[in-house]
Amino acid sequence: MNLRIAVLLSIGRNPRSGRARRADRDARALELALSLTGGDHIEAIHAGMRDPALDAYLGMGIPSVTVLLHEPGHDVLPGLVAHLRQSMPDLILAGTAAEDGPGSGTLPYALASALYVPVLTDIATVETEGETLRGVQALAAGQRRRLRVTLPAIVTVGQAAPIARQSAFRLQRSGKLDVRSSALQGDAIEHRTIPARARPKRVATAAPGGSATDRLRALTQMSGGGGRNLVNPEPQEAAAAILSYLETEGIIDLPTGSVQQA
Amino acid sequence: MTRPRFTRIDDGQRSAPGERIRRDIRARFIPSDQIDNPVASPSGRPRFDPHQGRTTPQEALGVMAPSGRIRRDRQAERDPRLAVRTATVVRRQGAAPSAKPLPLVTVDDPAYILLVVPDFDGDRLTDHDRELISAAHVLAGDSTGAVVVLAPAGIPGLDLAGADRVLPCARLTAYTPELRAGDVLAAVNALEPRHILFGESSSVGADLGRRVAAALGEVPATHVVTLAPDELKSRGWSGRIDAIMVPPRVLLLEEQVAVPLHDHRREARLLEPVAPAAGVQSRIVEEELFRIDPDLVPIAEADFIVSAGNGVIDWDAFRDVAAALGGTRGGSRIACDLGHLPRNRQVGASGTLVKPRCYLAFGIAGAPQHLQGIRDCERVVAINTNLHADMVKRADLSIIADAQAVMPALTELVARRRKGNEA
Repeated sequence: MNLRIAVLLSIGRNPRSGRARRADRDARALELALSLTGGDHIEAIHAGMRDPALDAYLGMGIPSVTVLLHEPGHDVLPGLVAHLRQSMPDLILAGTAAEDGPGSGTLPYALASALYVPVLTDIATVETEGETLRGVQALAAGQRRRLRVTLPAIVTVGQAAPIARQSAFRLQRSGKLDVRSSALQGDAIEHRTIPARARPKRVATAAPGGSATDRLRALTQMSGGGGRNLVNPEPQEAAAAILSYLETEGIIDLPTGSVQQA
Repeated sequence: MTRPRFTRIDDGQRSAPGERIRRDIRARFIPSDQIDNPVASPSGRPRFDPHQGRTTPQEALGVMAPSGRIRRDRQAERDPRLAVRTATVVRRQGAAPSAKPLPLVTVDDPAYILLVVPDFDGDRLTDHDRELISAAHVLAGDSTGAVVVLAPAGIPGLDLAGADRVLPCARLTAYTPELRAGDVLAAVNALEPRHILFGESSSVGADLGRRVAAALGEVPATHVVTLAPDELKSRGWSGRIDAIMVPPRVLLLEEQVAVPLHDHRREARLLEPVAPAAGVQSRIVEEELFRIDPDLVPIAEADFIVSAGNGVIDWDAFRDVAAALGGTRGGSRIACDLGHLPRNRQVGASGTLVKPRCYLAFGIAGAPQHLQGIRDCERVVAINTNLHADMVKRADLSIIADAQAVMPALTELVARRRKGNEA
């Protein structure tokens, strides 16, 4: 079966310089698509304005990027749905959220709802086997979850996916942008915006109404403590005490808690 | 020279031998428990005496100041709800203990509904969940709206967290986000809430909230960092810019948007369960849950950290014990300074503030900066040669021994147990 993949690409923003670049997670999504098919049957789609930063995606080894023209700040969902309904790929890949713009990460869900396909989120690796797709979802604290779904599906690619390959200048020159006007234009989305300020982190949890002494104490006092002491035990005795503590607290589970390499 | 002897009279005045009535200034300073009658000022006005009738300080009424002196809590006398809660409240003998139930606030006939969908950590509300429920009250602004929390049966503390109503839902153990979204949609159809609140948490809320919003055809406010009834800030542009908007129907809230409820409780009245939505099918199948190599996990989000300090000399043994236990390796500043561990593994105020479920420290004395770094650890195990080290005071289990001896013993014990279980 020839897997037909659509990759949704956006223009990223370098966090230091603020210049337009390829969006990191979108590039990782394209990297996954390239690793799945080797470059055939991939349609890279950018809904927005034509931008030189799109060349960076071309340089990863795809012949063209389809640009569905949308004015900045307009909803791209209707145009994308119309386009994808026509081509109906087996797999739609996208980054979890855009780097520039609101970056709400809601587009894949809205697409999935409109196209009535399942959506897998924050995926690190994928493999396909006929109609079945297996993806490994990245969770917090190094946990991973292997999920299975029947194609067609939407997969969003997160920070845990393999790093995207470098962009080659020659491929950037030979690739081309296929610029089209979008069949449907969404509404303009306008928000009042202000520069974000760093959020103060609430560290101390002194009860409200307390005095300054209480707040200081809550900040500086050591929590916990007052535990059990074993003074100069035999090493074996110490090891047994540590292990039994870890087991009773559910930190390690020896019969099944072995570490698996991903 | 002898002191003139005063004859005491009842109104606090004493008569001098010369029949002249004089005010006795000293009488004021005689502890009242040495005087037969309650304290009264010379003018006869009753005076408060925290020591009155006491035999121990704990029996007096008032609060204990940090210095140990008993102070009068005037606010508490006027209204017990205003009592200074953080100070040690000392009471007269026989008085009830300080566990007075918080005042109950009820909403009997709600004008509208706010639905909160918490994450739950096992069977407990997380701090983020409590903030969500509290944020729903902020969003309501007045007291005419009722906050309904969607929760499986048997979750404790929903009343203290601020739930006016509790809508029971099925307990889902496997990862079935579509079924869970179906449950929320059924609740939304039944209650028609004005707002639906989720936590922007990678475990459940962020995914579920977007699924529900997409199914409802709503544009949600994501990464909400501040919230008021008429305006919110949604962080976007990779955290550089906030968008200001009127709260939409679906909201995904970051942590610490609201302060958890602390001054009153709600009734958490149980509602009739809602019939699950028909035709919802789960197309995503969870195959397995596993862990990757713990050393690939960033130390800030590691679950179990095995850490080494200046007391570790045998770094091979340290590597082996961390691998045997399946812990992420970390270290103190000195271990990183000496190049035994990369800088991104440094725990402490100048390194990374960590929050693992368990912190196993080999040969770390516990500098204040290091202890700040592990302030939020739930369980700490310390192996140190010094009984009086600060780390040992902080630890839940302390082994006063050389790390070089304990590390191989622990590795061997774990290996033996693994082998025994396989055989």
